[in-house]
Amino acid sequence: MAIHTILCIEDDRFIGEMYVRSLKKAGYEVDWVVDGNDGLITARNKPYDLILLDVMLPERRGTEILAALRGGAEDLIPNTKVIVLTNFEQDDESRVTMQKHADAYLIKAEITPKKLIEVIAQLDAIAAKS
Amino acid sequence: MAVNQMPKQIRDFWPQFKTGAMLRIFGLHIVLAALLSIGLIASGAFDITSIIMWLIIALSAIISSTISLAVFAYASRPAKDLLSAVIHISGEPTDSTPPNPNDARFEKNGLKTALQTLYELSSKTTESRPIDTPTSPNSPAPIASARSAVETALNAIASGFVILHHDRSIAYSNKSAPVHINADSVPVLNLLFNGTDTLDAWLDDCEQHAVHAEHIWTRIPDRLPDEEGRRLYDVLASYDKGAENETILTLVDRTATYEVSEQELDFIAFAAHELRGPITVIRGYLDVLEEELGDVLQDDQHELFRRLTVSANRLSGYINNILNTSRYDRRHLKVHLAEDTIANIYDTIRDDMALRASSQNRLLSVSFPSDLPTVAADRASVSEVLGNLIDNAIKYSNEGGAINVTASARGDFVEVAVEDHGIGMPGNVVSNLFQKFYRSHRSRETVAGTGIGLYISKGIIESHGGTISVRSEEGKGSTFTASLPIYATVADKLNSGDNSNEGLIEHGNGWIKNHSMYRS
Repeated sequence: MAIHTILCIEDDRFIGEMYVRSLKKAGYEVDWVVDGNDGLITARNKPYDLILLDVMLPERRGTEILAALRGGAEDLIPNTKVIVLTNFEQDDESRVTMQKHADAYLIKAEITPKKLIEVIAQLDAIAAKS
Repeated sequence: MAVNQMPKQIRDFWPQFKTGAMLRIFGLHIVLAALLSIGLIASGAFDITSIIMWLIIALSAIISSTISLAVFAYASRPAKDLLSAVIHISGEPTDSTPPNPNDARFEKNGLKTALQTLYELSSKTTESRPIDTPTSPNSPAPIASARSAVETALNAIASGFVILHHDRSIAYSNKSAPVHINADSVPVLNLLFNGTDTLDAWLDDCEQHAVHAEHIWTRIPDRLPDEEGRRLYDVLASYDKGAENETILTLVDRTATYEVSEQELDFIAFAAHELRGPITVIRGYLDVLEEELGDVLQDDQHELFRRLTVSANRLSGYINNILNTSRYDRRHLKVHLAEDTIANIYDTIRDDMALRASSQNRLLSVSFPSDLPTVAADRASVSEVLGNLIDNAIKYSNEGGAINVTASARGDFVEVAVEDHGIGMPGNVVSNLFQKFYRSHRSRETVAGTGIGLYISKGIIESHGGTISVRSEEGKGSTFTASLPIYATVADKLNSGDNSNEGLIEHGNGWIKNHSMYRS
């Protein structure tokens, strides 16, 4: 099943709007929340195909959201892909957590919206292969 | 310590005591003889003029005082031996030899344990950590006294001092040395070496190849960054094969110096991360806008967009240089080595480099032989090195100049060369080129730059086990060459190590999980 619905959890208005605008133009259905608590609630209430997750967020960090969604005994979002987007590279410990729970980890400054759409297509291709 | 502070006359005690005891013995016998003779005369058994009586009394006095002296000598000998040991421990000059606990007579009469305890106690009071007790069978006491003086001095200095036995156990450590006693009561060094350049690795190497060797590690912490009371040391090691104290470590506490720069590096890293936010927006909207305005823009306006993009990309590259430098200087730079080809690594920056060269009117030509062996490389880091070298080639060459990027296999390495036909450099500049913040006098006046690009490029390439070098001729141009190990030559080492990146497709400094390899 190809990715269609996307939840963007991003507190920087410029960056959030940039992703939302480009992804909508590319035909995706996008919801956008700006704080960590809302992000976690929204992610649990609606089954998105993809979550774009910032790390440095108000209220709740992206790594905590990821742990709450996927760190327990049961994966709460089994049909959702997660792309962690950050500008603060993580220490080794969080890196290991993210390699366990996220589907991609990208540096925002290295990713333009065009490249992000390419990565989403790549995730679709990998899912189709396996 | 208490022993050292005793009055100086310990050795004078015994002769005085002995004289006093002998006088008492003789005095007692004279009194006894007098009483005996008075008794004999009073009883009427002998006449006062009887020579026989005086003979008997004199004889018995001599015999009994001799016996008394012998008994005294026998009974006081252990006391004399213990006293003699104390004299030696105290370090007073003396002609006598110290009592040796291993003597047959001490083994026989059981004083051996007492003497040993005395020597052990004396070494304990002067040593900060009672790791080694004097074991030389012939003269343990003088060693103990010489040690105590040296050890007191060593404990007073601020540098750590550690002696290792051949089996690498700690023979001695002074108070300043970062040593803790582990659960098995064995003293252990608290030093967190960086990566593979550890004390053990160096000692392994010494044992195989060296008779005498020395090594210095800088900025070695004794605990993790967030722990209280963390110290940073420069560690100087000296190795002598077969010596009793085979390895000697001196640890210079450099916390005061390094901590300040550590905070500066934290600040730099934080600032650089902050800069990435605006860069994200600039690069992102440039990308979006150029596409959306594609049909409306004139050719010259397209060129303006390209310049914006090139500038934003360069800025992003410089931020990565700063971040990598701060990691490298803190010993946090990690390269995740994987099998890769130079062509694949270059592909990640190909578009960016082509755009940079064309927008600045340089003729960039890149060609790699198709039969090059694969290399062990961290794709993101190596692409940053190539970006730096090409960026430099653009900076230090002229409009329309040719820049050639080539690669070839040499020995166990693949060498990538970036050649320009620009202004070149004189020899005295070349030797300083890879130093941090180095800018030649001339380039400072004519070309912008921070002087960390080549420094961090060298750091990254050396972290791969490769080397970076330059050939240059003034007025004719420069060729920078970076070598990377051929994957096959290091594959064994890599496979036995960290494989946590397996199944991840690298994407810049991030990654995408390849689920077809991650089936669970």
